[in-house]
Amino acid sequence: MNKGGAGGGTSGAIGPTAAAAAAAAQKQKSLQKRVDDDIGSIVDTFGIVVNVARVNDPPVRNSQEAFMMEVRAAKMVQAADSLLKLVSELKQTAIFSGFASLNDHVDKRTAELNQRAEKTDKMLARIGEDAAAGLKEMESHYYSSLLRSNQNAQQ
Amino acid sequence: MDGDLSLSLDKLPVKRLQVIEENGAERFPPYLSYDDNRENLIRRIDFAWAVEREDTNKKQKKGETAASSKDASSSQPWPWQNMIENLQSAHQELSVIIDLINTVEANDAVTVAGMTRPKQLPNELLSDLAVSTATKLQCFRHLGKYFNQSAKSLEKQVAREARFYGALIRLQQNWKIKRHRMAATAAGNEGFYIDLFDYTLYDPKSVFRPTSLSMVRVEHDNAGMLALNLSSKSCHTLRFGFVNGDSNNIIRRSNTRVSEFSEDSDKEDKSDDGSVKQRHSDLREVHRAVFDEQVFNLINQEAFVPSLGMNVTGIRENHLQLNIDQEASVFVTLVTSSSNEDDVMPMIEGEEKQKQSYLPNRISSEILLKQLFHEHVFVRAKNRSLVGQLPKDGPNLLGHFCMSLAHRIFSSKVLTKLEDLARSVSYVGLMSHPTWHSRTSTWTLVVDVPQSILHTSSYVVSSSQFLTKVVVNDDCITIEGEGAPNVVGLFKGKSENSYSINRFECNLADLHVILLQQVASQIIRWLHEEALIVGMKASRDFLSLSFELDQGEVVGLVAQVDPEDIEGGISWWLVAENDAAEEYKLQKEDLDGETKRYLGHLSLDVLYATLLDLVTMCNNNGGNL
Repeated sequence: MNKGGAGGGTSGAIGPTAAAAAAAAQKQKSLQKRVDDDIGSIVDTFGIVVNVARVNDPPVRNSQEAFMMEVRAAKMVQAADSLLKLVSELKQTAIFSGFASLNDHVDKRTAELNQRAEKTDKMLARIGEDAAAGLKEMESHYYSSLLRSNQNAQQ
Repeated sequence: MDGDLSLSLDKLPVKRLQVIEENGAERFPPYLSYDDNRENLIRRIDFAWAVEREDTNKKQKKGETAASSKDASSSQPWPWQNMIENLQSAHQELSVIIDLINTVEANDAVTVAGMTRPKQLPNELLSDLAVSTATKLQCFRHLGKYFNQSAKSLEKQVAREARFYGALIRLQQNWKIKRHRMAATAAGNEGFYIDLFDYTLYDPKSVFRPTSLSMVRVEHDNAGMLALNLSSKSCHTLRFGFVNGDSNNIIRRSNTRVSEFSEDSDKEDKSDDGSVKQRHSDLREVHRAVFDEQVFNLINQEAFVPSLGMNVTGIRENHLQLNIDQEASVFVTLVTSSSNEDDVMPMIEGEEKQKQSYLPNRISSEILLKQLFHEHVFVRAKNRSLVGQLPKDGPNLLGHFCMSLAHRIFSSKVLTKLEDLARSVSYVGLMSHPTWHSRTSTWTLVVDVPQSILHTSSYVVSSSQFLTKVVVNDDCITIEGEGAPNVVGLFKGKSENSYSINRFECNLADLHVILLQQVASQIIRWLHEEALIVGMKASRDFLSLSFELDQGEVVGLVAQVDPEDIEGGISWWLVAENDAAEEYKLQKEDLDGETKRYLGHLSLDVLYATLLDLVTMCNNNGGNL
């Protein structure tokens, strides 16, 4: 069961205060209790349903048992559903409260994006330099070109 | 009657409470008269035993008759006999029941003494058992189906949740996801939302609060998948423009952005990657809109701080108009993506049109404005993280931006003048030096000595290029160049050999003239050098070079600069002085044209040749011009 891992994660935080550790232990206990309850209820209910399979003489009891079986089946499904909800809650907690991994991830992403920004800046600078060099070349060519001097001479 | 006597006991006709209802009303048994009571008592006698006995008698008789008839006609057994008997007994039971029902219907109090069920035959027992078993089996099957169904739906739910959380995790890689538990219980979903507000720009003391736009709710859409609750209508875009500039451009561009928030509900089979990308870009749009709003707020804050180069000329909701140094009028506005902007304030006709060509590119100005604020955000964030407090002075980004725009306009005017100059004089070239600074521009005017001349005087290292540097800082022009004689030399009457770099400022109107003068003086200096190399005695003044002849005559080359001259800015005169006069100015009142000859616009090699001719002439004879 992965709740142990999550519980370990919450209580193994770096430098927790006593209150936080106590709260985490409390939470872990409650989660475990919920799981136990749910699974116990499923198993018990199933046992009851199976036990009630015997056919009795007075049909009254049969229909009574039929109704009870339906009710217990609904109870089982509800317990399963609550188990699943618990699992998803744990998943949420793990995803959104796993601060160490989240921070790591954010740092990595920030570094990556900073790098990309730097690369873009360098590229921009290079483009600028290329443009300046091109401009210089073109200017020198134009101003020393025969066409221009001829043009001026003709005036 | 049999020996057994059955007794039935009555309740005493004492008023005893029979029923008490919910609303507290009490019911007592109805008081019956003596006769009614007797009738009831009679009714309560159970005649079932008598009926049964009769039945059995009848059955015995019938059995006897049957047996007798059987003896008589043993070859004809009636198979329906049992059925008839069963039906008759059933009929009797039914009549008892009907009587009972009628009595009950007539609202008489009836007490059922007891009913015995007839003993069931074995096949009936078995059939009953079979029916019960079948019912139970059916019940179990029903349960099985129910379990199957709920298992499937739970599986689907798990899969859907897995997809939802998968998408949420991918969003979390780039965006800040928070959870609001109170909203969760209220709204029914898990209460996730994405916080797009950039807290680095947020000043707690300011009146501007984070907009409602900055919290994007994460919801389940119809299929249970992740959906973002975006309100595209209130998304603003920051737009910058020049009043009477290309405002049509702005409208067209903003319309292309409407298709951003496409609800891709019709693209059901879009892959997860595609939808994630779409979501990222949607969120980025909202993020950018939040940033634009913050920037606009900052601009508004800064616009009303009195500063150089900018004043506010108009303000409306989401629109701010500024005047930059009387050069241009600009506006900054927040445009909603669905609106049609037709906000151009009435413009001044006429002179504005000329200035249009000097206006910098609208888009690059907009980018500069946004980039200034963006950088400021990061610098501030870094300062906060390092120092822990804000810098005292506001950075006045808007002032800087306006000064940059003013500078751009001014420097484009300067550039026009420089290009005119370079076009007019054939041996002057222009070189641009991009400074990558928004408020400084630099150019260099280059005069190249032609190669042919260089070869001839190659044994002496002389300069082959004369440079004049023009630097524009904001709207202040500085000219640096060599060759302008320094003031000390002027006073001494002869030029010094120190060709120091002089630097002086000028304004736009005089720029052309001053540059022409600078270039001319450089040429004069060069000619002077060459003359000295050749061995002539020459002296130079600001714009003239003079040679002494034997008879005390002075011949000189004088440069005339004229910016209005179309054919060339610098033209040359040959001047001969009979007396050793101190003036070499053009305005000399010499009426006969022989002492001044106009040479025209000469190129550098022609000038050099002229110089050499002068030199030989001076060497040969006294100077009969």
